Amino acid sequence: MTTETKQGGPRAATPCLAGLCAGLMRRDLAPGAPWLSTLPVLLGAVLALLLASGMALAVFYDPRAAQASLRFIALEVPAGWIMRGYHVTGAGLGFVLLYVHLFRMLLTRGYRGPAAAGWMLWVTLLAALLLAGWLGFALNGGLGGYWSLIDAISASLALSGPAGGVAMWFFGGAPGDGTLARLLVFHAVLGVAAAGLLWLACAATRQARPAPAGRMVAFWPVYAAQAFAALALLALVFALLMCFAPHWGQGAQSQLPASSLAVPAAVSYPWYLTPLAGLTALFPGAGGHALAVIAAAAALYALPWLDRSGGGAPGGLYRALTWLLGLDVLGLGLSAVCPLAAGLQILLFVWFFIHFLVLTPAVTAMEAA
Amino acid sequence: MMRHRFLAPLLAAGLLACGAARAENTLTPLHFQSDGWRGSIDKAAAQRGFAVYQSVCASCHGMSGLHYRDLEGIGLTPEQVAGIAASIKLADGSAATPDSLFKPPGAVNMGGAVPPDLGAIVAQRPGGTRYVYEFLTGFGPAPDGMTLLPGHFYNRAFPGGQVSMPNVLRDNAVTYADGTKASAAQEAADVAEFLTWSSDPDLAERHIIGLRTVIFFALLAMVALAAKRRIWREEG
Repeated sequence: MTTETKQGGPRAATPCLAGLCAGLMRRDLAPGAPWLSTLPVLLGAVLALLLASGMALAVFYDPRAAQASLRFIALEVPAGWIMRGYHVTGAGLGFVLLYVHLFRMLLTRGYRGPAAAGWMLWVTLLAALLLAGWLGFALNGGLGGYWSLIDAISASLALSGPAGGVAMWFFGGAPGDGTLARLLVFHAVLGVAAAGLLWLACAATRQARPAPAGRMVAFWPVYAAQAFAALALLALVFALLMCFAPHWGQGAQSQLPASSLAVPAAVSYPWYLTPLAGLTALFPGAGGHALAVIAAAAALYALPWLDRSGGGAPGGLYRALTWLLGLDVLGLGLSAVCPLAAGLQILLFVWFFIHFLVLTPAVTAMEAA
Repeated sequence: MMRHRFLAPLLAAGLLACGAARAENTLTPLHFQSDGWRGSIDKAAAQRGFAVYQSVCASCHGMSGLHYRDLEGIGLTPEQVAGIAASIKLADGSAATPDSLFKPPGAVNMGGAVPPDLGAIVAQRPGGTRYVYEFLTGFGPAPDGMTLLPGHFYNRAFPGGQVSMPNVLRDNAVTYADGTKASAAQEAADVAEFLTWSSDPDLAERHIIGLRTVIFFALLAMVALAAKRRIWREEG
């Protein structure tokens, strides 16, 4: 073996590792990125934790017993309560990170121009995680999840045409012993798909980033140090929530056992589903719910083309309206927790669409002029 | 809850003869060791609460998911648990073992209402431990102008004020071997603590792990923030 071979041995044997190291050390990043730019990294860490804890839970979870099965995991499986805590707290914190990141993209117009593909991937990720979150809510076997699922299946089976066919394929027909087993598969697949979508969204966002001018820094050690500090802070918040507020944001009915004889006046959703529940509340039936969700998703997907600005920095009016949209979404979530006056509920719903369809084109065009 | 009262003296004597528990006045003012972010289970109270549960509540209310061996979590020894299990006759006539699940109640119909399972009742009710105590001590005469449904009883803590369960706790329903006076309020507080444990057996461990983890990550976060500041300063 020659000296050259010896020296190049490890790198030659692990070209991927060498490539990764070279990528981390490459000076191609602009310095001074804010803390909020670490949100995708944090979301990736939370998703990895969700996948790992989900796999551990799936080993013991019995869809036929649902909540009793989760109690078995908590009581009988070694460290079962920790695995469940990881999954429940991770879901809640993951949505915090995702909502804040999307809001930041809206506020900074991070959806425009070449970043449009990345924005659409982020919206798709939100949709996938919301569906996975709702399935998790149903798989929990609590009273709220049970009735939410029954309502969804009953309404879906009344659909006809292609929509009815999709609903039949998804739910597998009327609620029965196999329903949760089927939904467990979708829950897991969506979790894995979300990880892939996150990777694609980050890659697309990175591709769309303009080539920085001037001095450059490498990810290692500059942004690695920032990401590590952000991860430590996230872990601190995670531990606080998991160990001292384990039922945080899960909805009042999540602990109650599912029962076909106990019908709640209104389903109590986990906090991260409440904005969606508020958006769909005005439209009864599966068709109405689906219409509201599709309309909201379409507005988000179309945002890059609704924005008429020429690419300049967002103006004060645009930023104020975006903050107002954030409050509107919070209000929609609140409306799903405690009923609001019908007029206010309608206003919150209508404002969501007015923001995207009317105000965004008008204000961005005005600010560009 | 009213049935099988004959079990009360037998079980209470069997359980509390072991009597490592010492009484503590938790009623004035009302407080529970499980309260708060540093809360843990008061094992003495939980042991007394189990005696009350088994003597008074178990005939109507189940305790799903729990095995008798889990009672070691409230400080009973394996021998004591085996003794308790052996004194309980299962539906098939055989004696329970420590690995048996808590004996489910027979079919009970309280005026059309099915008694709820108590295994996770503290987690399922707003107010948790305190609600259970308030409920068990909340029976009394209905206020003027309130008409009770047939077979229902007034309870100021229950939503709507009417419940089909009667007031089952009375003074000296069990005899506490540790000398604690078994007033109805004391029994209610002890059952509430026992049900807090059954809802969340890992409460104390969770809080201890949480405290250690929070301290660790707080220190780690400080070090990481300092490292980040230094690296960013050096990189200009």
